[in-house]
Amino acid sequence: MTPASSNAEVTAVDTQARWPLLLLLGGAIKWLVIAGVLSLIASIQLHSPAFMSHWPAFTPGRTAAMAETAFVYGWAFNAGLGLALWILGRLGGEPLRALNWVVVGTFAWNIGLTLGLVGIALGDATSFSLLQLPGYVQPAMLVAYGAIAVAGILAWSGRRTDSTFASHWYAVAALFLFPWLLSAAQATLIWTPVRGVLQAVVAGWYAQGVWSLCLAPLALAVAYYVVPKVTGRALPAYEFAPLGFWSLIVIGAWTGARHLTGGPVPAWLPTLAIAACSLLLFHTSIVLLNLRGAIGGAGNSVAFIAWGLLAYTAGGLLDAITSFRSIASFTQFTHLVTAQQQLAIYGGVSMILFGGIYFALPRLTGRPWASAGFVSAHRVTLLIGLALLLVSLAAAGWVQANDLNHKDVTFAAMAADTRPWLLGASGAQLILLTANLLLAVNFCRSVCACCCCCAESAPVGSPFRPAATMEAHAS
Amino acid sequence: MSTPPADDPRLDQSAATDDSLIAAHEKLLGRQKDDQGHYRLLPLGLLFFFSALIFGGGTYLGLFSGMFDPRVYDEHGHPPKAGAAVAKLDPREVGKKLYNNAACNTCHQVNGIGVPGVYPPLAESEWVSGSDERVIRILLYGLQGPLKVKGVDYPGTAPMPSFGKVAGSGYNWSDDKIAAVLTYIRSDFGNSSKPVTTEQVAAVHAKEGDRKAYTQEELLKLP
Repeated sequence: MTPASSNAEVTAVDTQARWPLLLLLGGAIKWLVIAGVLSLIASIQLHSPAFMSHWPAFTPGRTAAMAETAFVYGWAFNAGLGLALWILGRLGGEPLRALNWVVVGTFAWNIGLTLGLVGIALGDATSFSLLQLPGYVQPAMLVAYGAIAVAGILAWSGRRTDSTFASHWYAVAALFLFPWLLSAAQATLIWTPVRGVLQAVVAGWYAQGVWSLCLAPLALAVAYYVVPKVTGRALPAYEFAPLGFWSLIVIGAWTGARHLTGGPVPAWLPTLAIAACSLLLFHTSIVLLNLRGAIGGAGNSVAFIAWGLLAYTAGGLLDAITSFRSIASFTQFTHLVTAQQQLAIYGGVSMILFGGIYFALPRLTGRPWASAGFVSAHRVTLLIGLALLLVSLAAAGWVQANDLNHKDVTFAAMAADTRPWLLGASGAQLILLTANLLLAVNFCRSVCACCCCCAESAPVGSPFRPAATMEAHAS
Repeated sequence: MSTPPADDPRLDQSAATDDSLIAAHEKLLGRQKDDQGHYRLLPLGLLFFFSALIFGGGTYLGLFSGMFDPRVYDEHGHPPKAGAAVAKLDPREVGKKLYNNAACNTCHQVNGIGVPGVYPPLAESEWVSGSDERVIRILLYGLQGPLKVKGVDYPGTAPMPSFGKVAGSGYNWSDDKIAAVLTYIRSDFGNSSKPVTTEQVAAVHAKEGDRKAYTQEELLKLP
């Protein structure tokens, strides 16, 4: 049980990557809390529009844009990238290279994001969902992403064995595909904007791409790694995992045009997106088959991932159902769509990323989390908040959709009808913020403990058991 | 070294090493030597499911894609056939829409009676119902100066602007639209003259080219 033994749980891969990756994860949690505050303000403004709106920087449109941007580019990207690099490093078997680039890239990404949020507050947001950062910070974001991703690509290309694992595919796909998405969207929407309706088509493709080709793969890379590591069993039905991967990569971004149903676009675009949504159920069902061991599995990280997996599956199913024109004519442009987005991005991606962080941090710091109670409290509070948020938004959306389909209902009456449910959504945002503060405190305590122990002396004994060898057919 | 506690809830112990994780899964993919022949074909259930999705998606695309024609915006529509008859719009309806779209009705009023002393009426006006040649020119190029309508003199304080696709026009209406509006005003407000065709307007437009607004004297010289 010396650090040099081949099956030691914490190796040089973890210790050398400790501070760069803690920087990424810490940044992620910081943005998660900031996004929580902004989401709370934006949510309150949905039922009480006057709240804080005497400051131009915090008028409803800007707070919603800031909340979305901070959550996606601050929390999800930082956490997803940090975990993806760590997993690629561990699977590669060699310490990560180009870590100084990771540090530079992390600072550039987070400073760019801060400037971007200030820009949005000043009114410089673009009008495209998920691409609301002002044009002047977008090139910096692209370069920063590249600097961070280099380490992941090097870990992948320099891996010790020729073999690859599902986490490799998903993580590397996300690292390669996001720069393509962002540069193509920037070129066609910001620098030399395409004309008219085509902008909506490109924006829909980009927003779906960020989800399907970047955030979802990053989260799946984490889930595919953590679940077999903790359960110790090979993933069931793993031989179909390549099919699941390729169906997401090939079909995923085609589903974006479903939001253009009823818009002034050629009919084949939404039709293709609707068919793609249904085809993607193949991907979703393979992911569920592969990772079903997580449901009911032991351990904190797996518990988070199990909820994330359920939300991911439910989200895919709902996307397929609500994409059909007859149903979209009811749900489109209501809070029901917001509820679905939250289910996907908060319930699906974020829950899996939380699980990844709970698994990774003890290995990066070499010590357990500061408090086990905080971990459980985080999970329970998060689930309560999320359930309340989804139910409130769905109910508000249902009421709103019914009102919208009656021509006699005025806008004021509609606002009054949805108000009780939107109050529930604000309460849910408050609970979620509380939950994430628990994570932030626990993270800070764990990292501080690591700082102190590093300064004083090496840890006396590793808290980790050496891992066993996995059998291919243990399942 | 002390053995760590079996189940520290503050961390999740790994049950497998990274190397064995990769090796075990690689074996499941059937890429490595597999003496026992453990790998399976796609199970029938999954195969049927995927086939059903592809079949359903393909059928849906076939039904509602409008043959991937960029001109089809309705999912139940079909691309227009080459040489197929295009539905003809009633020029009176087109003209009425244009007339009431804050273009003519602002001055001549919705019922075509104008404003006494400022805007001459269109209803039962000899200029509207009379010579095609004159009324086409008034709408195309505009009219300036005094005008006598139904025996009443209008001083010309409010000139008629040019509506045609000619130099100096703020409206740039096509000959089609000019003909439609003329046909409309000649069939409503109690008027009942024969319609004005696009060809007539085009002929006048081609003959006169770009020019300034007409006056009453110039118009009275025309047939």
